[in-house]
Amino acid sequence: MIRTILNHILRIVFLILLQALVVSKIQALGGLILPWIYIFGILMLPFETPRWLILFISFTIGLIMDYFTGPMGLHTCACVALGYFMPLVQKLFSPREGYEVSQRPTIQSMGLTWYVTVAGICTLIHHAWLFIFEVFRFSGFFYTLLHILLSTIGTMILMIIGQYLIYNSKTLQQ
Amino acid sequence: MRNILTLIRRYYVFFLFLALQVLALIILFTSNNYQRSEFVQQSNEIAGTIYGRRAKLSEYLRLGEINDKLSLENAQLRTLLPENFMATRTRLDSVKDTLNLQRYNYRTAKVINASVNRRKNYLVLDKGWEGGIGVDMGVIANGCLVGHVRSVSQHFSVVMPVLHSDFKASVRLKRSGFFGALVWGESKNPAVAELHDIPKNIPVQAGDTVFTSGFSTFFPANLLVGFVEEIDDSDNDYHLLRVRLAADFRKLDYVQVVSDLLKQEQEQLINQTQQQDDQNNP
Repeated sequence: MIRTILNHILRIVFLILLQALVVSKIQALGGLILPWIYIFGILMLPFETPRWLILFISFTIGLIMDYFTGPMGLHTCACVALGYFMPLVQKLFSPREGYEVSQRPTIQSMGLTWYVTVAGICTLIHHAWLFIFEVFRFSGFFYTLLHILLSTIGTMILMIIGQYLIYNSKTLQQ
Repeated sequence: MRNILTLIRRYYVFFLFLALQVLALIILFTSNNYQRSEFVQQSNEIAGTIYGRRAKLSEYLRLGEINDKLSLENAQLRTLLPENFMATRTRLDSVKDTLNLQRYNYRTAKVINASVNRRKNYLVLDKGWEGGIGVDMGVIANGCLVGHVRSVSQHFSVVMPVLHSDFKASVRLKRSGFFGALVWGESKNPAVAELHDIPKNIPVQAGDTVFTSGFSTFFPANLLVGFVEEIDDSDNDYHLLRVRLAADFRKLDYVQVVSDLLKQEQEQLINQTQQQDDQNNP
C-alpha cells in the first residue's frame, strides 16, 4: 500500500519536473502545439481512489505546476476540473460489471481503444479549461480551438508513447 | 434543514469541486497582469535555482554557437579600438570632458527562462537589483532590441520582450526616417512583429531596416529592431508592416541591460513642463 502511494508521488514529481524542464520547451508549429503531460499523474490514479481525494490531489498538482509556469491559479482550476470529470468519464465507459480491483487505467490493462477514448476526453476537458482561461476573450476563438485540439493530440501521443516505453510486458500480466 | 444536509451529503463531491474551482479562480483573478513577475519574486529560491540549472545545461550544449557569436562580437568591437582610427585633424582642440558625458551604461545578464509560445511571454534574467538592474531598463542582445525590465527581485529580474501583447516601442524606418509604433500584434510568430502608424504616402519597401527612435527612456536610439518583410495596405490611411525581428527570441542566452543615466533628468523636465502648462491653462 505504502509502496503504491510512494510510486504515485514519485511519478507525479517526475512528471511535473519533466513538464517544467523539458516538455514546456516544445514549440511545434509556432507554439500551436503545447502538450501538458503532467496530467498523466492524475490519469494514472487507481479506479478505487475516492473522488474527494482525486480532487485534492489534482488541486495540489495544479498549484505546484502554477508555481513553475504561472499565472497562479490557471493550472489549478484546469486540474480541479479534470479531477472532477475524470471519474465520471471513466464510469461512462466502464465494463458492464464495473472495474475490477486488479485493473489499472493503462493501455496494457484496459486496451488502446478504451484508453484513447477516456484519456482523450479527460485531456480535452483539461486543455479546454486551461486555454480558455488563459485567453479569456473570444477574438481568437478558432485559433484557441485549434490550439486546444492540436495540444490534446500532442499530449495523447506523448502519454501513449510513454506508456509503451515505461510499462513493459511484465506489468501487462500483473 | 435536514433536506439541505442530505443534499449536501449526497452531492458533496460536486460541492467540493465548486469550492476548489472558485478558490482557484480567485487565485487566478486576484493576481492578474503582474502575476508572473510576482511569482518569480516569491519563488526565486526554488524555481529560480531549478531553471538556472537547466539553463546551465543547455548553455553547455550550445557552447560552439555561443563561441561563434562571441568571436564575431569581438571582431566588431576590435574595429572600434582607437588605434584603428587615424587622426584627420592636425590641430587638436582641448575638449572639456563634460562634452562626453556618459549617458548609457550596459550590464550583461544571462537568460535563465524564456517563453515564446504564449500571448504574454516573459524572460527571466539571473541578475536582480543586487546586480544593478532596475525596473524599466532596456534589454538588448548583440545590439538588437529585446524588451524592457518589468520587475526585479534581489537576484532575478523579469523582462517583457517584444513578444508580449502589451509591448509597445517607438521605432524609426531607416530609409525615410519616419516614426511608428512597434507591437507584436496577433501574429503569434516569435520572429515577426507589426509596425503601425506609418502613413500611406511614405514609400516603404520590403527589406527596409527598422531602428529604435530613442524617444522613450527605455532604449537608446538606433538599436537594430528588424527588417520590413511584408507590406499590408488593406487599411485606408496607414501601412501595416510586418517586421522580421533581428533578435532570435528562441535562442537568447546572454543579453545586455541598458540603464539610462540621464533618464531621471529627462523625465523631471517633462513633468515640470507639463505642470507649468497645466498652471497656465487650468
